[in-house]
Amino acid sequence: MGNFTLGRYIPLDSPIHRMDPRAKIMAMLFVLIAIFFPAGWIGYGIIFVAVSIVILLGKLSFTYILKSMKPMMFMMFFLLIMNCLVLKTGEPLFTIYSFTVYSDAVFQTLYIVVRLLLMIMITTCLTATTKPLDMTLGIEDLLKPFTKIGVPAHEIAMLISIALRFIPDLIDETTRIIKAQESRGVDLKEGKMKERIMAILSLIVPLFVSAFQRAEDLANAMEARGYAPGEERTRYKVLKMEMRDWILLFCAFLLLVGMIVLSRFK
Amino acid sequence: MSITFEKVSHIYSDGTPYRFVALSDVDLDIIEGQMTAIVGQTGSGKSTLVQHLNGLLLPASGKINVLDHVIEAGSHPKGLKSLRGKVGLVFQFPEYQLFEETVLKDIAFGPKNFGFTEKEAIEKARHAMKLVSLGKEFEEKSPLELSGGQKRRVAIAGILAMDPQVLVLDEPTAGLDPQGTIQMMELFRELNQKHHKTVLIVTHDMEQVFNYCDRVIVMAKGSVHTHTTCEEFFRDSSLCNSLAILPPALIRMKDALKEKGFTIKDEMEDIHELSKEIAREVKHG
Repeated sequence: MGNFTLGRYIPLDSPIHRMDPRAKIMAMLFVLIAIFFPAGWIGYGIIFVAVSIVILLGKLSFTYILKSMKPMMFMMFFLLIMNCLVLKTGEPLFTIYSFTVYSDAVFQTLYIVVRLLLMIMITTCLTATTKPLDMTLGIEDLLKPFTKIGVPAHEIAMLISIALRFIPDLIDETTRIIKAQESRGVDLKEGKMKERIMAILSLIVPLFVSAFQRAEDLANAMEARGYAPGEERTRYKVLKMEMRDWILLFCAFLLLVGMIVLSRFK
Repeated sequence: MSITFEKVSHIYSDGTPYRFVALSDVDLDIIEGQMTAIVGQTGSGKSTLVQHLNGLLLPASGKINVLDHVIEAGSHPKGLKSLRGKVGLVFQFPEYQLFEETVLKDIAFGPKNFGFTEKEAIEKARHAMKLVSLGKEFEEKSPLELSGGQKRRVAIAGILAMDPQVLVLDEPTAGLDPQGTIQMMELFRELNQKHHKTVLIVTHDMEQVFNYCDRVIVMAKGSVHTHTTCEEFFRDSSLCNSLAILPPALIRMKDALKEKGFTIKDEMEDIHELSKEIAREVKHG
């Protein structure tokens, strides 16, 4: 549980860390959209170089980002198998037991894998360099224009920040309860069906009880400090766009336009 | 048979930016049949240390010997489950581990996991309830509707029902009222003296250490700072002071009297002994 790296903030000091979350979120959206334009290998090469520069500027290590892809490995492998079974176009590459694998299957998979890889890299860049709280501030601001059509921007942001805040707590709680039940002889890895159901039950019930307890405590604590949703609130932290934020946005936008152009010429 | 640690280290989140060395080169020899207190500031490695005793955490380096079970770094230890039956570990705020519909079923959960039949488990559960002085009327209640102190007792009974040889308790009295605290500590003393269990208690309360324990282990920054008998530990309050630990009231009283010119012996069992000493001094003086 403790080695879960996907989407975790890494406390470092870098130009990327100091950037405005709004600029970072928008830049990420631009680049994510750019990935979906079929700009070919050259296009992906350019995006990869751009993202790598951000990773280097953000002082993130590539091994860390590779690690966060681990949960995706299974999915990628599954994709490859499915594609090999279904896609029968292109050059036949090789044959195993009268089953032929075609070049398109491999290339299609590679294409998807590269896209996924880039997407994970980009989102990791955002989540690893932006504090969860700053992220929600950014989301709230970006959603502000939509309040006119009834989108509760502040409530959504509050919801997200509370959910994020509880993730580490619940992970800790889960490990704690696992340990406590293991001390009582629960075996989570082996055992008969009935025993395993009992084992899972012995985790889920206490986890639910404590999650509800925490939610209630937090709601009470917030109310005690005068929180009322929908009310006008001032902010402790005021976001300000600076030169470097505009530059990041501009570069991301340029990348998006570039990819659109490239995909037209293909 | 004994419990020994040889050069045991433990590192959390190794290889990530969150890497944290919780134990470094801990050598320890815990004497069986005694009541040992483990004290130290928050983050000194107390909880990490006790979780090694039943193999919940495995050492990054070093070797642990617990009741004939050997846990060595790098190799996958065998028989962890049987070890967990012999070393009962009660976590901090153990009431959060309750999940069964009734108190009796919840207490019987442990013994059942260790291979006892339904009937035997219920019998053991009833016995454990008696030990923690929970009456028969609690048997069919839901553990979730009990008060905090009662829940705590149910949780501790859940471990006692396994009849472990070694009982490890991580701050068992945190958040209990004074009455409940005394009852709890008396129970541990009884288990130690009558039932000859080895008892290890992680605590912040020096009164508990002084009144109930035989030995004391002081943890600091992931290593064992001091390991000695309680008499030795409290004989000279300068050791306590250097560790930023407030000595028990009796010791502070004795020190204050000595400062004012009384001649009082250093070993002190309880308040009666101190009052006798004072009476003798006053008569002579």
